[in-house]
Amino acid sequence: MRVAPAVALVALAGAAVVLVPPPAAAGGDPEAEGERLYLEGCSSCHGEDGGGAEDDAGNLRGPPVADSGEAAAFYYLSTGRMPLANSEEQPRRKDPAYDEEQIAALVAYVASLGDGPTLPEVDVAAADLVRGGELFRENCQACHSASGSGGALSYGRAAPPLAPARPDETAAAIRVGPGQMPVFGEEALSAAEVADVVRYVEYLDAPADPGGLPIGRLGPIPEGFVGWFLGVPLLLGATYWIGTRSPVRRRKGSL
Amino acid sequence: MNADRRASACFLISAIAAVALGVVYARGGQAQAEGLLLAVTSGGIGAGIVVWAKASTPHDEVTEARHPLASSEAEVAAFTEALAAGERALVEGKGRRGVLLSAGAALTAFGAALLFPIRSLGPRPGRDLKETPYGDSLPVRVVTEDGRPVRVDDLPVDSLLTVWPEGHVDAADAPTLLIRTRPDRDLRVEDGAGVVDGVVAYSKLCTHMGCPVGLYQAEEGLLLCPCHQSTFDVYDAANPVFGPAARPLPQLPLATDDDGYLVATADFMEPVGPGFWDRGR
Amino acid sequence: MLTRRLARFVDERLGTAGFARTALNKVFPDHWSFMIGELALYCFVILLLTGTYLTFFFDPSQNEVVYQGSYAPLQGVEMTAAYASALDLSFDVRAGLVMRQIHHWAALLFLAAIVVHLARVFFTGGFRRPRELNWVIGVTLLVLAIFNGFAGYSLLDDQLSGTGLRIAYSITLSIPLAGTWLASLLFGGEFPGPDIISRLYVIHILLIPAAIVVLLTAHLAIVVRQKHTQFDGPGREEDNVVGERLWPTYALKAVGLFFLTGSVLSFLGGVFQINPVWIYGPFDPAEVSAASQPDWYMGWLDGAARIMPNWEIRAFGFEVPNPFFPAVLLAGVTFGLLYAWPFLEARVTGDDAPHHILDRPRQRPVRTALGVATLGFYGVCFLAGAADVISVTFGLSVNAVLWSFRILLFALPPLASWATYKLCQELCRRDGVPTREPVKFRQILPRLRHGAAPPPAAPATPAD
Repeated sequence: MRVAPAVALVALAGAAVVLVPPPAAAGGDPEAEGERLYLEGCSSCHGEDGGGAEDDAGNLRGPPVADSGEAAAFYYLSTGRMPLANSEEQPRRKDPAYDEEQIAALVAYVASLGDGPTLPEVDVAAADLVRGGELFRENCQACHSASGSGGALSYGRAAPPLAPARPDETAAAIRVGPGQMPVFGEEALSAAEVADVVRYVEYLDAPADPGGLPIGRLGPIPEGFVGWFLGVPLLLGATYWIGTRSPVRRRKGSL
Repeated sequence: MNADRRASACFLISAIAAVALGVVYARGGQAQAEGLLLAVTSGGIGAGIVVWAKASTPHDEVTEARHPLASSEAEVAAFTEALAAGERALVEGKGRRGVLLSAGAALTAFGAALLFPIRSLGPRPGRDLKETPYGDSLPVRVVTEDGRPVRVDDLPVDSLLTVWPEGHVDAADAPTLLIRTRPDRDLRVEDGAGVVDGVVAYSKLCTHMGCPVGLYQAEEGLLLCPCHQSTFDVYDAANPVFGPAARPLPQLPLATDDDGYLVATADFMEPVGPGFWDRGR
Repeated sequence: MLTRRLARFVDERLGTAGFARTALNKVFPDHWSFMIGELALYCFVILLLTGTYLTFFFDPSQNEVVYQGSYAPLQGVEMTAAYASALDLSFDVRAGLVMRQIHHWAALLFLAAIVVHLARVFFTGGFRRPRELNWVIGVTLLVLAIFNGFAGYSLLDDQLSGTGLRIAYSITLSIPLAGTWLASLLFGGEFPGPDIISRLYVIHILLIPAAIVVLLTAHLAIVVRQKHTQFDGPGREEDNVVGERLWPTYALKAVGLFFLTGSVLSFLGGVFQINPVWIYGPFDPAEVSAASQPDWYMGWLDGAARIMPNWEIRAFGFEVPNPFFPAVLLAGVTFGLLYAWPFLEARVTGDDAPHHILDRPRQRPVRTALGVATLGFYGVCFLAGAADVISVTFGLSVNAVLWSFRILLFALPPLASWATYKLCQELCRRDGVPTREPVKFRQILPRLRHGAAPPPAAPATPAD
C-alpha cells in the first residue's frame, strides 16, 4: 500500500526529466545561440540591446523589443512576420525564416533582455468551446469577423484571417497585441479564457457547414453575388428555353 | 430519342428523385441531398412539361383583336349621370348642409379615435434617448460583462475593454470602451479630469447609426465602425476623422474610488448613439 | 368524361362555360422576356410554401432561453427563443435547414426577378398609357417585397439581424419631428425594445404577404383586362394581339416554368449555405462583427449611407441627423421617381397616346440612356455597401475604395448614359431603322414649362 505513492513519485521525476528540453545541439546554450542570431538578423532595426535603432535621418527603423517578452518574439518569428527585408514594409504572414530551434533560442534571448508577457500556456483539448465562442464574439469578431475570415480596418490596414494561425500563435497574439491589434491583458481574458478563445478559433478553421458551400462565410455580399450571377442566369436561362421555339419542332411541323 | 420519350424520361427521373428524397428523409435527412433531390424532382417535372409542350402544343400564331378599353361616351355619360342623380338626392334640399357637415365631422372624429390605440404601441420617447443608467446613482463602478470591477493596473497600455455601469450590464445604451492610451502620446479629450492614468472612456455606440464601434487600431489610436466605416480618433476626443459620423463618441468621465476601482463620476457628456430631432434640447 | 361532367356541374350552378371558353382561347404574345414577371410570381409562391413550413417551428419571442439543441458551440448559451428556434430549424428539424435556405434564396431571387422585370418594362416602354396604373402597383409590390425581405432577415435575432434592426431603428429615429415617436412606437421603446421581433413576425407573415397577394391579383387582372403588350413585327398592330393561346400552349409553359423555378431555388438552397446564423451568435447590443451587411436589395441603401459625407443639419437645438439623407431622402426620391416615371415621361415627350406595341430600347436612346445611368448609380451604391469586403478581398484601403465610389457615383452615370446613347444610335443606324425619339432635347425645357401642348415646331437656332 505504501509503495504506490513512491512509484508515482519516481514516475513523475522521470516525466520531469523527459520534459526538460534537450540542450540546443550547435551552440550549447540556447540563449547564447539566440544572441548570435539576434545580432545577426534583428539588431540592425531593433538595436543591439533591444532598444530600437534609428536610421541616419533619425527615424525609428524598428521599435524597441527589450520589453516585448517571449510572447511577442514568438508571435512575430513563428508567423514569419519578422524579420522584414525592409523596415518600411508591412509585416505579413509568411513562412518563418528560422527553424523551430532557432526561434526558441531567439525567444529565450529576447525574453532575457527585459520584462514582457510570457508565452501563455494553452491546453486546447481541455478548453471550453462554448465559452470561447462567447469571448470570441465579445472581443475578436469586430475585427476578424464572426467566421474568423478577417476584415478591413482603416487606411489600408486589415485584420488577418485566423485560419492560418496555430494555437500558440493565436494565444501569443492575444497577449501581445501585434501591430494594430489591441492588447488583451489578464483583466480582459484570463489564462483559461485565452485557451477557450483559441479553441473556438481552431473550431472556426473548419466549422460545421451543414448548409453546403460556405461561399467565404462573408455574409450577404457573396450571397448576393451568387444570387445575381448564378441564380438569375439560371432562372433567365430556363425562361429563355421555355419562351423560344425549338428549331427542330419547326422543321417537323412543316412536314 | 423523340420528344415524347425525352419528356417521359424527365418525368421518370423526377419520380425516382422523389423516392430518393423520401429515403434520405427517412434516414435522418441531409440538407445537400435534400436540396439536390428536390431540384431534380421539381426540375424533372418542369423540363418534362416544357419538352412535351414544345413538341405537342400548337405553335401557330393566333391573332386576337384588341378592343378599345375606354367605354363609349354614352356609357360614361350614363354612369356620371346616375352618380350625380344619387348625389343630388342626398345633398340638395333645405337643411342638408347641416347633415353633411355633421357627417363629415363624425367621420373625421371616428378616424381620429382609431388613432388612439396606436399610442399604446410604445412609451413616450422622453429622456430615455438622452440618458443612460450611468446617471442613476453616481459615482458608479464600471464593470465587465461578467460584473467584475476594473482597476487601472489591470489594463495594459493599448488594451481596450467593454464595460457597463454596475448592475446594468444588459443596458443597450450603456456599453462603454475603456482604452489605456500610450503615455508617450498627447491625449486631447473633452474632460481631461475624467481620464485616469491614461485610461479614457468613450461610448461604444457609433454616433452615426449606433453600431458598436469595436474595431480598435491601437497603433494609430483609431476606432472604426464596421457598419459604415466611420472612424474616430481616440487621442483627439474621439472626433470623427472619416465616414458618415458627424459627432465624436461621447466621453464618460472617470475617477477611482477608495478601493482603487474605476468609477464613472457622471453620465456621458452628450446623448449616446445616433442623432435624433431634439437631441440638442 | 369526368372533365365534361365537372364542367357541366359547375356551369349549371355558375354559368361559367362561356367565360371559361374565352379564357382558354386568350392569346399571349410570344416573347421569352414577357415571362420574367412570372419568375417573380413563382418565387413568391415558393416563399409562401417554404415560409408556411417555417412558421410551424419558428418562435417569434424575445424571451430568454438556454440553448440545449445539438449545435455544440452554443450549448448552454443564453439567447432569445427566436434565435434558439432558428437554430433548431437549422440543426434539429429534419428538412428544416433546406427549407430555411430555399426560403432565403427564394427571397433574394424574388427581389432580383422583380428588378429584372421592372427593367424589362422600363426599357421597352411597357409602362406607357394605358398601363401606368399597373406600373404603380408593380412599384408598390417592389417596395413591399423589400420591406418584407428586411423583416424576414431581422426575425432570427442573430448578431447580423440585430445589427440590421439597430440600423433600421437609427434610420427611423433620423426622421425629422416624428422620428423619436415613430421609433418608440415601432420598437415598443428604446432600442432593442421588448416587442420588435413579435411585431415584425406579424408584419412578415401576415400583413405584407396579404398586401402582396391582393396587389399581385390586381396586377395580373389588369394584364388580362388590358391584354399584354407585344413587340413590333409582321402582322402585329396596335389593335391586335398576336401570340399563342392560353390552352394548352401558354398554360404548359407557365407550369413548366414554375417547376423549373422550384428546381433552381432547391438547388441553391441545397448547395449554397446562406445566412449561417449559428456562426453569427445571438444578438448582443454591445457586439458587432466585421463585414456586417444587409441582403442585396438593401445593399444600395447601406452603400449610400457609407459614402455619404458627414453632414448634419443643426439649428435651434434641433437636428436632421446624417442617416436621414441617404436612407430616408434618397429612398424617398428613388421610389418617388419610380412612381412618377410614366407620368413624367408622358409630360416631357408630350406623348400621351395609348401604346400596345413596345419600344426596342435602341429606338429610344434617351430613355435607355437614363435607365442605364440609373442602374449605374444604384450599382455603385450597392458596391459601396460591400466596400469592406471588397477592400479585404483585394487588399485595398477601405478609405480609398469608399472615396473611389464617392467619385464614381457622380462620374459613372453620365459616362454610362453617354455611351448608351451613342450605342443606341449606332445600333439603329446599323439596323437601318430610325430612332423613334418623339422629342428633341431642345424641346424638353419649354414643354416642361408650358405643360402639355408641344410648342410650335419653330426650328431652334443651333446653340453653337
